[in-house]
Amino acid sequence: MSEKILLRHEDVANLRELDVYVSDGGYATALRVLKEREPEDIIEEVKASGLRGRGGAGFPTGMKWGFLPKDNPLRYLCVNADESEPGTFKDRQILEHNPHLLLESMVLAAYAIKCHKAYIYIRGEFAQGAKILEEAVREAVAGGHLGEDIYGTGFDLDVVVHRGAGAYICGEETGLIESLEGKRAYPRVKPPFPAVYGVFGAPTIVNNVETLCCVRPILERGAQWFKTIGPEKSPGPKLYCVSGHVERPGVYELPMGTNLRELIYDHCGGIPGGKKLKAVIPGGSSVPIFTADEIDVNMDFDSIAAAGSLLGSCGTIVMNEDTCMVRALRIIARFYRHESCGQCTPCREGTGWLERLMIGLEDGGANDRDVDLLMQVADNMMGNTVCVLADAAAMPTKSFVTKFRSEFEEHLQHGGCPQRSAEAMRASAHA
Amino acid sequence: MAVEFSKESKAHFEEILTRYPKKRAAIMPTLWLAQKDFGYLSHEVLAYVAELIEESPAFVASVASFYTMYYKKPMGRHHVQVCTNLSCALVGSDNIVNCIKEKLGIGLGETTPDGKFSLDEVECLASCGTGPMMQIDDDYWEGLTTEKTLEILEKLAAG
Amino acid sequence: MPKLEIDGQEVEVANGTNLVQAAEQLGTEVPHYCYHPGLPVAGNCRMCLVEIEKMPKLQIACNTRANEGMVVHTKSDRVLRARESVLEFLLVNHPIDCPICDQAGECKLQDYYMDHDRQESRIPLESKVSKGKAIDIGPMIMLDQERCILCTRCTRFLDEVTGTSELGIFERGNHCQIDLFPGVMLDNPYSGNVADICPVGALTNKDFRFRTRVWYLESTPSVCPGCATGCNIDIHHRSGEVFRYRPRHNPDVNSYWMCDEGRLSYKRYQGEGRLLQPVQRAGEDWQPIAWDAAVGRFVDVLKGDKRIAGVISAQSSNEEIFLFDQLVREQLSGQVAGHSWSPEGASSDELLIDGDKNPNTAGLTELGLTLDARKIIDSALAGEIDTLVLYGTDLTQVCTVEEIAELGDKLDAAIVLDLRYGPSLEIADLVLPIASYAEIEGSFINRQRRCQVLGRSMEPTGHSWPGWQLLTKVAGSLGAPSHDSASAVFERIADKHAAFRGLTLAGLAGLGAPLGGATSGDG
Repeated sequence: MSEKILLRHEDVANLRELDVYVSDGGYATALRVLKEREPEDIIEEVKASGLRGRGGAGFPTGMKWGFLPKDNPLRYLCVNADESEPGTFKDRQILEHNPHLLLESMVLAAYAIKCHKAYIYIRGEFAQGAKILEEAVREAVAGGHLGEDIYGTGFDLDVVVHRGAGAYICGEETGLIESLEGKRAYPRVKPPFPAVYGVFGAPTIVNNVETLCCVRPILERGAQWFKTIGPEKSPGPKLYCVSGHVERPGVYELPMGTNLRELIYDHCGGIPGGKKLKAVIPGGSSVPIFTADEIDVNMDFDSIAAAGSLLGSCGTIVMNEDTCMVRALRIIARFYRHESCGQCTPCREGTGWLERLMIGLEDGGANDRDVDLLMQVADNMMGNTVCVLADAAAMPTKSFVTKFRSEFEEHLQHGGCPQRSAEAMRASAHA
Repeated sequence: MAVEFSKESKAHFEEILTRYPKKRAAIMPTLWLAQKDFGYLSHEVLAYVAELIEESPAFVASVASFYTMYYKKPMGRHHVQVCTNLSCALVGSDNIVNCIKEKLGIGLGETTPDGKFSLDEVECLASCGTGPMMQIDDDYWEGLTTEKTLEILEKLAAG
Repeated sequence: MPKLEIDGQEVEVANGTNLVQAAEQLGTEVPHYCYHPGLPVAGNCRMCLVEIEKMPKLQIACNTRANEGMVVHTKSDRVLRARESVLEFLLVNHPIDCPICDQAGECKLQDYYMDHDRQESRIPLESKVSKGKAIDIGPMIMLDQERCILCTRCTRFLDEVTGTSELGIFERGNHCQIDLFPGVMLDNPYSGNVADICPVGALTNKDFRFRTRVWYLESTPSVCPGCATGCNIDIHHRSGEVFRYRPRHNPDVNSYWMCDEGRLSYKRYQGEGRLLQPVQRAGEDWQPIAWDAAVGRFVDVLKGDKRIAGVISAQSSNEEIFLFDQLVREQLSGQVAGHSWSPEGASSDELLIDGDKNPNTAGLTELGLTLDARKIIDSALAGEIDTLVLYGTDLTQVCTVEEIAELGDKLDAAIVLDLRYGPSLEIADLVLPIASYAEIEGSFINRQRRCQVLGRSMEPTGHSWPGWQLLTKVAGSLGAPSHDSASAVFERIADKHAAFRGLTLAGLAGLGAPLGGATSGDG
């Protein structure tokens, strides 16, 4: 796929400016759809496209929209721009470089679900992104693409940019809703689901940035076009984030279902310095890891799940042969301990416990049973909490320990990281 | 002296209130506004925001404490935040942290005696393809080397 | 009315019942910490996980509605394993200070650990996160942040019930802790409830701390005497001493709560100041007198063609009021008035605190008494009364000090029946100690006209007598039929007063019942 849909800004300079966006055909779809089509018809088209949520869960977007109760006219659209899964940096590209694609898609989505107020929840660290978005909203309102009586159709949409302030859990849709309501971002117990009881108690749809940005292309070119890209059950263009030990890290727009080996070796130029590949986390730090010989897998929801991991947010983290897997897992454990909201017992206490065990293994002081204990603690955390953050911490733990157990045992026997003490020895020899 | 928003900030606060159907939802943008005006969220500032939002001060403070970007203590003029999550760690964020520590003569969570810099390590900032990276105030600095890092710090120190 | 199966037993429950309550109906406890029936569901402790057939994951019972045909397992291996692991997680950062913890004996962490876990700790002690201990957070409550399991019952109570939100959860993850905002204390009028609902020793009641171990206490259901609301309570007592009140659930009166003022009102009825034996005046002094002689003297004073008047306070039970009225008005043709007094500026609110600080003002009016004690005092001051009987009535609430002295001159005799020493004793010729509401059987009527039962928690203090017993004895000596129990007195009330018809003391046990009819009146 040579034409860029989501990353069109890479082909068109200054696309983030409204006039450039419009002269590139922007907002034409919104104009046509608002004037010519019925909301129900849009939902059907999105359903027919097979679009699945790009935030991590892969839930069919059209179906999600269809869950809104018919009887309540008040409803909200929330855009999840809280991109924070380690290894994921795709939405930021769109927010900073192609904000009108998001806004136009929001107009279409809001029209489809008959909603007149939308919030973009953007992570606090994206200060630049928030400024760009706010400017884009102002431009779009001034240009008649947003606000009251859009294109004279009588359809209103007010868009508010809401900044987070540093909390990973706001990426969980009900955590996001609680945060938007001005509270600690404690994910809600479900049911009720947001489509029935969402922000401010009203039916709410929460969609990820990349997901929504597929809506304009779908309505511009048709569901059938969308379905020609990628596999039948999860079609469409996809943003792949590749980081770590590759020659050309970055965000790649490729068809859903691109092979992981091709992604690493063809698109990203392979591992630098002639090093060997050791492991790959395919979908962000919360998903199970692949060893070097497990990467012949297509990167779509179903194929990755069949191979024992998850597509997640498509944050592909590549590790070469020199990587210490204990250190890597310690960093992951630190992250989930730091980001656990603290609400559910198994997550609050389990993430802290996992990190403590990892510190013991890397720095020394671990107990003989600690590798087994890591597995047991992770097992006990899984599936028993309000949201999946506990699972997000447990899944990598279990897969790292299972697939690289000898390295963990080695740390145990050595009383700490053998690689690090070797480095320390080399350093002192130089001194 | 009791804290109070400037005239402009008061107008801004009134505008914030119009964005949400419930006053409580204005807490986060109001805390941002307060942090911009007062530098950090002292107990006095939190109590002031609580009064504006009509929530208990404990409620507002407990919300503020949940989010890492709200400062609960005075910070340096520039807040240097280095990502040390996995992707950045794989490409050498430790070196960046060490070089900044050495350059500024402070540890993580500390502020230089001249009040110019505060240093923290932070979790993933969604800049994984261009690591190592750091955020200073509102700006991202990506594709860092130790040389580039020192240059940035020197420029800020001079400015 | 969905029917479902829990652990192999079928149960039919009301619509909207959750699985914790449904299991309770079968006598099965699904262990839980954060769930409290009086608060919104939080679902955070994860202790109440149960297995529901056809659902892949375990579900929290507190947030799952019982549905038709559901098959629930609360004791399957998966459930027990999950429970054990939640307990282990809860103990990761919990201090091991049970021997010095006041909650020991009523701590859900301790209880469930003994029921379910009992495994050796896999967490080294030195790696626990340390937090604040024994922090004084208000007039009623001490906080221990380390013992807190972050169930958020207290913050939900303060957010949803009182709306005061003094406590918040600060920080996040395993650094989360409950705390106040600096300079703001937990001092709302209902603060004591947070200690009741705290499932562990994080929030403890300052008034109760370290006074006794809970396993020595007995509990008797009763009604708070603090005001006209009549919050249902359990009196926790031991060897004739009340240690604390705990609110008892009554959906029609107080839900699960009570106010701090009522909670501490037990202090008024015990300790110093209680009258311990009958005494009669001997010049300037008091002379003890045996009960038989005292009753004899009382009867003698009432006999003959005298102008008698009586005042009885709204602190008295229905049974006392009824017998007093029968004796003075029916038998002796005297005047009777009820007395219901509250201090000026008495606390009151929309929730539970009533400005009428008497538990039984409604009892006086329902039993046909006027509330015009002053009229009787005026008659006495005018020399129209020979003998005045004061039942639990503090004269300073009705007249001035000078008037009290004048009454002493005007009256032939004054008899005082009371719990405590008080200004009324100034003019008394005979003083008869009566038992407190916690020492008798009987009933009160609250502001909603709901008749509620007092539990007899302990023996009368000193040589005091239950008022109904004294009154029935005196009435008997004067020729009236006597009663051998408070229940029998209540039966007479039900005979005579239409509003009480069909009620019995035994039948009212538990939640009480509203009186019949809209108004009172002799039947």
